Formats: sequence, C-alpha cells, structure tokens
Amino acid sequence: MVQKNNKAARAAQYILLVVLTITTLLPLIWMLSASLKLSTEVFTSPIRWIPETFHWENYAQIWQKVDFGRFTWNSAKLTVLVTLIQLLTCSFAAYGFTKCRFPGRDTLFLGYVATIAIPWQIFMLPQYLMMNKMHLVDSHLGYVLLSSFAAFGVFLLRQFFLGIPNELLEAARIDGLSEYGIYFRIVLPLAKPAMATLAIFTFVNVWNDFMGPMIYFNTESNKTVPLGIRMFVGQYSTDYQLIMAASVLSLIPVLVMYIFCQKYFVQGVATSGLKG
Amino acid sequence: MRFKRFTAVFVACILACSLLAGCGGGASSAPAASTPAAGSTPSGGDAAPEQVTIQVATWDYSSNPSVSNAVAAFETAHPEIKVEVIDIPSADYNTKLSVMLNGGDGLDAFFIKDASSTFDLYTKGQLLDLTDYIAADNIDMAGYNGTDTPFNIEGRQYGMPVRTDYYVLYYNKDIFDAAKVDYPSNDMTWDEFEELAIQLTGDGKYGAHFHTWQACVENWGVQDGKNTIMDYETGYDFFKPYYDMAVRLQDAGAIQDFGELQSGNIHYSGAFASGNVAMMPMGTWYIATIAESMKKGEANLSAWGVATLPHPADVPAGYTVGATTPLVINPSSAKQDAAWEFVKFMSSVDSAMEYAKVGAIPGRLNDEILAQIAALDGMPEGLAEALKVTNIVPDRPIVADVTEVNDMLGQEHSLIMLGELSVDEGLAEMAERAGEILGK
Amino acid sequence: MNETAKAPARRGMALKTRNALVGISFILPNFIGFLVFVLIPVVFSFVLAFMDWDGFNAMTFAGFENFVEIFKDRIFRQSLSQTFIYTFFNVLISAAAALGLAIILNAKLRGTTFFRSAIFFPYVASVVAVGAVWKAMFMRNGGPINLFLQFVGVAEEHLPGWLSSTDWALAGVIVVSIWKNMGYFMVIYLAAMQNIPATLYEAAEIDGARKWQQFWRITFPMLTPSHFFVLMMLTINSFKTFDLIFALTEGGPGTATTLLSMYIYKESFAYWHYGKASAAAMILFLIVGTITILQFRVEKKFDDFM
Repeated sequence: MVQKNNKAARAAQYILLVVLTITTLLPLIWMLSASLKLSTEVFTSPIRWIPETFHWENYAQIWQKVDFGRFTWNSAKLTVLVTLIQLLTCSFAAYGFTKCRFPGRDTLFLGYVATIAIPWQIFMLPQYLMMNKMHLVDSHLGYVLLSSFAAFGVFLLRQFFLGIPNELLEAARIDGLSEYGIYFRIVLPLAKPAMATLAIFTFVNVWNDFMGPMIYFNTESNKTVPLGIRMFVGQYSTDYQLIMAASVLSLIPVLVMYIFCQKYFVQGVATSGLKG
Repeated sequence: MRFKRFTAVFVACILACSLLAGCGGGASSAPAASTPAAGSTPSGGDAAPEQVTIQVATWDYSSNPSVSNAVAAFETAHPEIKVEVIDIPSADYNTKLSVMLNGGDGLDAFFIKDASSTFDLYTKGQLLDLTDYIAADNIDMAGYNGTDTPFNIEGRQYGMPVRTDYYVLYYNKDIFDAAKVDYPSNDMTWDEFEELAIQLTGDGKYGAHFHTWQACVENWGVQDGKNTIMDYETGYDFFKPYYDMAVRLQDAGAIQDFGELQSGNIHYSGAFASGNVAMMPMGTWYIATIAESMKKGEANLSAWGVATLPHPADVPAGYTVGATTPLVINPSSAKQDAAWEFVKFMSSVDSAMEYAKVGAIPGRLNDEILAQIAALDGMPEGLAEALKVTNIVPDRPIVADVTEVNDMLGQEHSLIMLGELSVDEGLAEMAERAGEILGK
Repeated sequence: MNETAKAPARRGMALKTRNALVGISFILPNFIGFLVFVLIPVVFSFVLAFMDWDGFNAMTFAGFENFVEIFKDRIFRQSLSQTFIYTFFNVLISAAAALGLAIILNAKLRGTTFFRSAIFFPYVASVVAVGAVWKAMFMRNGGPINLFLQFVGVAEEHLPGWLSSTDWALAGVIVVSIWKNMGYFMVIYLAAMQNIPATLYEAAEIDGARKWQQFWRITFPMLTPSHFFVLMMLTINSFKTFDLIFALTEGGPGTATTLLSMYIYKESFAYWHYGKASAAAMILFLIVGTITILQFRVEKKFDDFM
C-alpha cells in the first residue's frame, strides 16, 4: 500500500518536473532556433520553431565580425579572478560578522546591506571619477577591484553561517582551536554548499555583466563577451540571429560551472547531518 | 563601545568630503591632469616620437565603413597623427560618452549621436568653440549647405557636420507594377500619399509602413519648419493631421498594426525587405542597407526605388526632415590642434568622398556628391533626383530640455498608436506634460 | 567591588579586546576594498541628493529642492506606485516558486542534475537575448503564451496584448522576472537544505510525522535565515530591476513599466539631473532600508528562539 502510494507520488513528481522544465526551456529552444535563422526570419508570426534551412554559418560569423576569442578570454579571466577574491574575502568577513563579537558589528553589517539597496547608476559617476584619478579606468585590474568587494557575497554567506550551530564552535574553542583554525577546519568544510552558491552567482554576474565593462573599458582588446554581443545591436539594424548564436555560446561556460558546483547540493538531507 | 561606530562613520565622511572637494574643481583641473596619462600610453615605442595619438569616440565603428574609411584616409594624409577610436555600442553611446566627459577622461574629439544633446553639452562647457580655427583655416562654411547652422550657438560654431541623414520615401516597384500604378513622384503631398497607400493595400500587401519611432509620424508635423517639438503652447495641433492620418491608415489595415510591430520586434528593414510594403518613409541611412541586402539576394523584392519625402500642402516639394551628425572637440583635450586637424578632415570634401563611396550622405552635401552616391553599384534609377532637397528641417531643435520632451513624446506616441488614447487625448497629454517639463 | 572580582573582570576586558581584534581581522580584507570602491561613492551619492549637479560643473547646494521636485513629477509618482506593485507580486511569487522547486528538486530523483540545470538556465542567459526571446513569446498573435491561453479557452478578442498593452505590460515583465530569477533563489534554498541535520527528520519519522508535517515543522523553520535572505534580495532586486525592463519594454508602452530604477537612470544619464536622480535613489533607499530593518528585527527574534 505504502509502496504503491510512493510510486504514484513519484510519477506525479516526474510529470510535474517535466512540464516545468519544458515551460522553462521553451525560450531557450526559441533562442537556439533563432540562432540558426536568417535575420529576416527571426521574428515571424506565427513562430517557426524549426528553421527552414539551418544557417550554421551564423556561429562562424560571430567570430569573424568581432574578436570573440579575445572577448571570451577576457571574460574568463575576469570572472575567475573576481570569483576567487570574492569567495576568499567574503567568507572571511561573513565569519567575522556571525561568529565573532566586537562593538559596532551589526551597524557595520547594516552599512554593508544598505549599499546593496543603492542602484549602481547613482554612485557610478563618483566611482568613475575616483577610478579615473587612480588611473584604473580601461584596465582589468580596476574592474577586478570594483567587482570583488560587493556586499552581496558577505550578506549571502552570513545568512548561511547563521545556520551553523554555535555549540559546534564553542566545542572547538574549548578544544583550543583559534578562531582562524575554526574558520578553516570547521566552518569552511561545512560551508561548501554556500560557497558553491556564491561561486555560481559571482560567476554568472561577472560573466554577464554588461554595464561595468561598457563604462570602464575603452580599448578593443579589453572588452568582454557581453560587450561583443551588444555590438550586434546597431543603431539602425540588429542582427538578432548573431545575438542568439553568441548568447547560446556564452551560456556554455556558465552551465559547465553550474553543473560542477551543483554537486555540492546533491548530498541530500541524509548525508549532511552535523554529527558532532 | 559607541566610539568605534562613530569613528567608522566619521572616516567615511571625511573620505567622501575629500572626494567631493576633488569633484567640485574637477571640471577645470582634473582633465588637464589626466589627459597626458591616458593619451600618451598607447603611442608607445612603435611610432616616431613626434607622433600624436588622439582619442575619438564613435559608435558602431565596425559596421560603419563610412567612418572607418575616412579615418584611414585621414591617417594616410596625416602620418603624424594617430587616431585611436573608442567604439561604443550605439544604444549606450550617450551614457558612456557623458560618463567619459564628466569623469575627465582623455577624450580628444567625439561624434554627437543625437544632435539634440548638443545643447546640454554646450551648457555644460563640454564643446570647444571652433570659430577661431575655422577662421584661421579659411573653411568655406557655405559648402555645408546649412547643415552646420544647428551647431552655431550664439554666433559661435561648436561642431562640424560630418554626416547628414534625412527622410525620403522608399518604395517597392513590384507592388506598383502589379497594381499598374505610377511610381511615387518627387512632388507628392501627404494627402496624396495617404490615398496612394489605401489604393495599394490589399492582397496581403500594405500600402505603407510606419516604423514604431515617433519620428515616423511627428516629423511630418515639423516638416514645414514652422513649429518644433518644443512648441507645446499650441497644444501640438501641428501633429494632429499626421496622427489622424496614421490612425486612419492603421484602422484601414494600410499600415501594419503598431502593437504587432512592437510586440513582434519587427524592424523596418525586415518589413520592407519582406516585399509586403509598397511605400516606407525612412531615413537615408537605409539606402546602403537595402542596396546591400538586394545584392545578397536576401530581400524578397526585385526592384526598389526612392522618391523625395511627401510634403505638407503648405510647403513646396523638397522640404524634408533630418539630422546631422557633428564632430566636436573636448575643451579639456590637451591636443586640441591635432584634434582640429582631424575634425577639419572629417568635415572636408575628401572625407565627403569617402562617405559617398559607401552610400552615406556627408555633411558637405552637394549635387556632385549626390550624383556619386546615385552612381554606386546597385542604386536605383532617379536616386540623385530624389535625394535633391531644398530644405532639411532639423527633427529636433538644439535647445535646453529637448531630450526630456522628446522622450515624453515617444511615450505618448506609443499610447496613441496603440489606441490607448485618442489622438486628441494624446496631444492634450503631450502638451500638459511638456508644460510640466518646461515650466519648472 | 572587592579585589577578587576585579582580576577576572580585567582579564575579561582583555579577552574582549582580543576577540574584537580577531573579529575585525576577519572583516578587514573585504572591508578595505568595500570602503574604497563602494562605500565612499555611495556616501558621496547621498550628498548629491541635496545638491544641484549636472555631473560636470561645480555643484550648488539645493537643500530639499530635489525632493520637492521629484514628488511634483508625475512620472516619479507613477513609477513609485508601479515599483510597489511589481515588487509585491515579484517577491511573493518568486519566493514561493523557488521554495517549491527546491523541495521538489531536493528529493532523490533520477536526473535531478538535468532538471536543476534546466530551471537554473534562465538566470544564466544574457539579458539582451532574453529581451528578444520574450518579445517573441509574448507576441499577441501566434506567440506561445497566447496560443496556450487560446488552447485553454480564452476567446481571441480577450487575449492580452502583453508588452504592447498598458494593462498587461507590467504583468508581462513580472512573468519574465519570475522565470529568470526563480532558479537563482531555488539554488539558495537547495544549498541551505543541505545544512538541515538529518537527525531531525529521523526523529520526526520516529514520531510518525507525515511528510508535509515534516516540512512545516522542520524544513520551513530551519530555512529561516534563507527566507530572510531570499525575501530581502528579492525586495532589493525588485526595487532595482533595470536591465530586464530596459531590454523588454524600455519602460513603455507609455510609462506603464517605468519603475524607479528606470526613472533614476533616465534622470541621471539622459537628462543629467544628478541631484534629482540621487534624491529618487534616497527615497528608494529609505523604503528598502525600512523593510530591511524590520526584517532584521524579526530575524533577531527568530535567532534568539532557535
């Protein structure tokens, strides 16, 4: 009886999942199909899901029209650097904000969170003036410095660290571990899913960031993939088929990264208990 | 332990204030300090020491052969000056440009994308007065045929016209042939245009095509040069005949539905190239594009033509609406002389020839140049005649707040064309909102 | 105080200072970068709200004039109320969808990796592409969404015009926003679910609690920090939504989808009224700040309780 119920529930779950997935993926399918069309065929009504002829040359064209190889390399470099710095400094700070006590801690943290609420358009100009004075405009170093210290990462990790029981750390303190020791030996291993989450978000955000590179990079050799995609949006005409092809390609590294990271969420409730 | 908290806030304030102080004076002092650093790095060791590198901002550089060819010609003519082009996506050009200028970047010269933003740049002191350079080099301003006047503010010239574009009427000869109707003439009123559009509609064909821009209706209201989009005190009654026409055509199915165009992201080039559109008023920038897609065989029509834009009944044929792209110099540039050489060349006859070679209309506009464009491979018969216009009325005047008013008109335009507001309601709302914007 | 009590007290002080220093040392690497590259420009923008500035020339003090002006501006008032509507629906539906998806996809099913990736994909796609894709999805005639509506029996004349109708455009933007971001918040929930000790479920099982009882008694409360995070990030992001709207509607038709961030963008970069833009940002900041502090209060309560 129980067995049967379980099977029915499982089947229902699968059906639900498949429907959800197809709905979610429909736009992707449109994207793929548009990337293989002529520019005049992209927007037709009713939608033609399978192109009349497959224009694979669109994928070749994006490499000829813009320096896509260079852009990809730049994007990859910036994304990896920013992600690493964020993981390191944010997890450090988040530990300080949750598991250490010092005066002004909560006020400082509120200050962090407050900056998340300020739209970037507002402080972008002061930021730019400053970066210009430091001669960090049009340089990858400047961009890395700008993007690495966003408050979001600290906030995200802090919320995860709150869930780590204090008794666990107390026990370690009694065992004579220093705070740094606790961070490296206890918190960091426990925080793997959280760190993976932050890694994915930072990766996606930097990889897809358009405004930052648009404002800060002038030289062709500094530009990134989103800027390259934007180059197909012209003043008087837009090559949607090329935008789609480039977007499909630029999805791949992020999906690979995601699949790599998401293995940290599959342990499931059964294995990740804190058996301390 | 309040103390720490206060220290933190205090330190932040001090730092902010020092930054603030730096910015206040930034307009005058910062650029001078930063230009050498930004300008001198790229010239490096590869060139002769006396070579100067200037930074120039433009948009869609890789897909605009007119600009890149002219820049190449300049560099050949002036080996002592190297041009470093900063290519900015067109949709973000104004944003990025204003950040660069405000941020004190080492930009030497730049194109202005929307001529209407010239006034803002002027009031902020971000345009160099070129009058003395013009006098010193004896530039023949009459050769610009009036395209230079919008950039003359209070008797001083701030920009040199490089390229100009104006509205013409494109038509699909196949549809006219099939209907056994004469091709549109270079002297046609908007009423005649409307009649013709209705006549040609049917059988899956649209008599005309109005792109979703507000320009494609409102421009005809300012075409006679008697009003500008800033004249809200009139209640925008000069737009009324054209909105009425557009709505009539839309209701009759003679133009594609605005909502369909917008939700379907349908671009005018796609609409015209699909072969379903008999006539389309559009800017001269489209000439090169359609010629190219005809050559490649991507367009679904066998022959196209160009006629002069239809005109209001109260002005003669040859009145049209357009906009000129000027090149200007950043007053905080440390290399103004080199920048002037570049501006002078880009607005010269030599550069005009480079523009004409790729089907773009230069600011130095004359019959010879037009004939050259018309003689290009793939251009339709009678193009030179159709392009000859007597009066190019600027689509937007160069005055304060024009960008804001223009945006507002665009919003109301979509409401009228979607049928959310009647023409009269829409015009009334336009006048009211313009009053709020300009009245403060 | 007597002698014996004093000594431990002093030692306690020393320990406290030491602990504080250790705590600060954890924060410092991030804080220095944060201070220089984020906090200072942000503080600067606060000052701007009381200034008149075109972004280039010297600024002049304006007092509260910018605030008076924005409240006189009908577009500001409209965008403010639209931002609230957008935020309300976007936050509630997205959070519920993310939690629901996380629960389904935390179960041990075959192919979870695929399903999770599929749900996450929209978050990864570039906004320029997403804008174009969804315009096609929303086409009035022949778009998949309206085809589906027709299929379930909506009469043709009642089909919504979505992005080209002032009544439906905001709903359309909300749909895309949920589609794009639910995978992101699902990941946060999924990651947090890994931290819930299995022993709790085992104990509940022994007590004979059903699955849904386990959800309400264990999973839901144990996810409290994540709920706060998700709700807050959703709120903040909703108030800041810009790219998506820019790609989908540019604030139109009319001003039907002009949200606060779009207003701020236009005021600062199109019209060069930095003072007005900063004042609008201050209003946004005050709203989000109030919500944040409220949430922190509630969180503190939960924290003590746990």
